[in-house]
Amino acid sequence: MKRGSIDRLIQLAFLEGDITTHGLYEQTAARRHPRTPASAKARRELLEKLEVSLKARQSTIAAPVTLGSFLRKAKTEHSFTTSEIVSKVGISANIYRMLEQDRLSPLKISVVSWKRLIRFFDVPTDMLAEMIRRTYQLVFFAPSYRTTLARYKQEKSRAKKFQVLEAAARELYARADLVLPPEEEQKLSDFIKTITG
Amino acid sequence: MGRATNRQIVEKLRNGDRKGAGHLVDAYQDRLISEAVSIFHIDSLDAEELVSDVLLSVIQKIDSFEFTKSDGDFHFWVMTIFRNRIRDHVRHETLKGGLMERFEESALENDQEYSGTELEVVRAVVRQYESSLHSSERSADDPRTVPGKLHVIAETLDAMETWERVLLRCRALDVPYEDISHYTGKPVSQLKVYHQRVRKKFVKLLSEHYPELAIS
Repeated sequence: MKRGSIDRLIQLAFLEGDITTHGLYEQTAARRHPRTPASAKARRELLEKLEVSLKARQSTIAAPVTLGSFLRKAKTEHSFTTSEIVSKVGISANIYRMLEQDRLSPLKISVVSWKRLIRFFDVPTDMLAEMIRRTYQLVFFAPSYRTTLARYKQEKSRAKKFQVLEAAARELYARADLVLPPEEEQKLSDFIKTITG
Repeated sequence: MGRATNRQIVEKLRNGDRKGAGHLVDAYQDRLISEAVSIFHIDSLDAEELVSDVLLSVIQKIDSFEFTKSDGDFHFWVMTIFRNRIRDHVRHETLKGGLMERFEESALENDQEYSGTELEVVRAVVRQYESSLHSSERSADDPRTVPGKLHVIAETLDAMETWERVLLRCRALDVPYEDISHYTGKPVSQLKVYHQRVRKKFVKLLSEHYPELAIS
């Protein structure tokens, strides 16, 4: 098909999200017969890549260690929808999504909601306590990893990038057990006791 | 054996079933490569690599996907990942070597000539696009969060009648005239006859955003 520069500009605006076809393009793409079938070798190679990724994904979700991984796994296993969970637990969908992504401190959720969650998912309290602890550590230490990443991205030279990574590794080894500061540890333990007690 | 439904593909992928990967490849590899090559002018080797990235993303993000309306939701989700990946590729190519040369090359391949006005206007828009990409690259912003790089196109289209707008948007993506006719209520023959005319009107309106070009 002949396509002029004006069509290319409009395509570009579509790709950049400045305009939409209200789903007509996506519907057409679903019906269109592929014009350039991939070779058997390309298909095999892609399939291998996807299978490796699938396997890696399975091993990471096999044992939930944080609340996010637990919620994602439980949701899939029981075919729950987000709206079903949030209405039973009594939190907003946004808060739920942040919990699912391990981006929210568990202490921000009310004790009542945690008790509802325990009932809804029928999760043992000691397992929940462990997951709350891990998630809290993750959320607490996340900013320092983000800072490291930002520093790494800022550096232009490979040598400087290497130095940043080395410093980050030293920092990580120094606190490999991710021990929380005493006041944070106290706050967390008290909170867990209120939920599980 | 019939083709797996989208719900079956999603379920298998979530359960780590390798058949899910097979179904995903059957449903999307050829289709997306073909779209990348024939609609978005991506080189076929790049297209293969790009589609491989898209399908890997599908597997990695499968837990964040939810059916809200119908089985087709999954297709729209995959197409959104595909579109974003194509956009990133085009941005990368633009930053690397300039976009205008690529436009001109493809126009030559298609045996098309630019009119003077069209060339000037296209160059002005492309220059603006390139400079917005360079400036967002220089700033610390994530380029994905910088909106409205081609807002001028959207504004120009908004100034046209609805059917004209739909015709231009959809034909740029090779949507058949029959589908556009169904959507706009205009006969296919009229859409075909008017397409070129509408395109010229678009160029004229677009040129008004660039008074410095002084196009008569």
